[in-house]
Amino acid sequence: MAYTECVIDVTTARPSFASVAEAHLDDVYRYLLYVTANPSTAEELTSATFERALDRWHRFDPKRGTAQTWLCQLARSAALDHFRAESRRRRRESAFAAQAGPDAAELELPDDYGPVLRQALRTLSAADREVVVLRVVLEQDTQRAARVLGISPSACTTRLNRALERLEQKVRPRLVA
Amino acid sequence: MSPDLATALRNETPVAPDALRERIALVAAAPPSGRRPFPVRRLLALGIPAALAASAVGAAVIGLASSNKPAPESAANAELSVESRDQARGRLRAPLRRSLAPIPAPAGAAESQGRAVIPGTNRAQDVQAYLTVLVDGTEDLSATTQRALRTTRRLGGYVVNVQYGTPEPTEGTAELRVRVPVSRVQAAVVQFSELGRILAQQVQISDLQQPLDELTRRIRRLERRAQNAKGAELARIKREIAALRRERVEVNRRAAFATVGLDLTTHEPEKKVVVPGRLERAIDDATGVLTAELAIGAYALIVAAPILLLLAGGYAAARAYRRFADQRLLERA
Repeated sequence: MAYTECVIDVTTARPSFASVAEAHLDDVYRYLLYVTANPSTAEELTSATFERALDRWHRFDPKRGTAQTWLCQLARSAALDHFRAESRRRRRESAFAAQAGPDAAELELPDDYGPVLRQALRTLSAADREVVVLRVVLEQDTQRAARVLGISPSACTTRLNRALERLEQKVRPRLVA
Repeated sequence: MSPDLATALRNETPVAPDALRERIALVAAAPPSGRRPFPVRRLLALGIPAALAASAVGAAVIGLASSNKPAPESAANAELSVESRDQARGRLRAPLRRSLAPIPAPAGAAESQGRAVIPGTNRAQDVQAYLTVLVDGTEDLSATTQRALRTTRRLGGYVVNVQYGTPEPTEGTAELRVRVPVSRVQAAVVQFSELGRILAQQVQISDLQQPLDELTRRIRRLERRAQNAKGAELARIKREIAALRRERVEVNRRAAFATVGLDLTTHEPEKKVVVPGRLERAIDDATGVLTAELAIGAYALIVAAPILLLLAGGYAAARAYRRFADQRLLERA
């Protein structure tokens, strides 16, 4: 993860948008990659997230939360919009597709992941992958992750434990083997 | 969670590709939106005290503005009625130089019934007594008026004026102006006081002895001058002496009889309304305006509360449903 110091705008006592974008681009991309499990979709949504962030930059208040949390909230909103659009598209296409859920073929995790981890992540739902990326990959604390997810901290912890349990169930036998 | 898994998750998760990095750099290079955030909290923090201050100032301004106007009509009427009553009495009382024992309607007036003391003296005096007596109903008013007239005649007096009226079936007044011999005015006051409950009584005595003595001295001086006068001078002095003697008779007549005013009424007089001062009226009006504002606010709150609760409930339900739908969407994805 690339950490870049944010440039503080002394006139407004808050970082500039360019520095925030540079510092948290990887965080947003990784988050969206986990949630969508599709690199190209993650790239599109990352771009859309930063465009939306630029448009709403005046709303960002450093006193109410970190830039990473705020960007992850925007990214989540963009991902949900994407999933809703996809769901509507599938409903329009066929009843079968609607019942079948997301295509397994759409889960195209990049080759950076090892085969074991990639296979295990594919079996998780987007909700599970989301809490994993927030708490484990982006190393957010419970409070911030719960804020992004819009749930209570205890619910966030519960959700993380269940997700990791499922992930370990898939990963451990293969790692042992 | 095993450390290996966490490390694997962190290490194997790729970073953003260079192409995306360039795209985001281009996006970030654009100037951020120049729109300023709508300061809702700041507006509320300033707006609520400002609104309260404005309502208080408005109430104060309205109170001060209305306090410049004349006093309320009822108070003015009450004042006028009291004044006119006093003026009416003043017309009847003639020139009074000295007033003794003015007794306003006392709470314990019954205790002072007949207590008005009229000093007995050999000096010539103009005695005037006024009583207001409460009687029971119009039937009692008629009988009491008759009794008062009989009492006057029994005491050797005579009736100057009687005004009897019952404008309402249950209300009426009788105004009696009688003259009784001065030697019996004390008895007259006592007997009139026993006709009902005394609401007010007043006795006024003005001395007539001094003007009477002066008249006598002038007559004697003229009589002495008349002894040496002749012709037209004598005739003029005799005319002056005759005029002075007539005047002395008149004074003696006034001193011989006392005037007693007796007001019989079936209802207690209206109490004088205390007209509040300008500051009190301003405070009252401002308080009234503030109370009205509070009442309107409370009314609006009562009316709007169910609607606001429904809206809040709907908003909360919609938000909860949206979260649930989002979670379900992510779990199915």
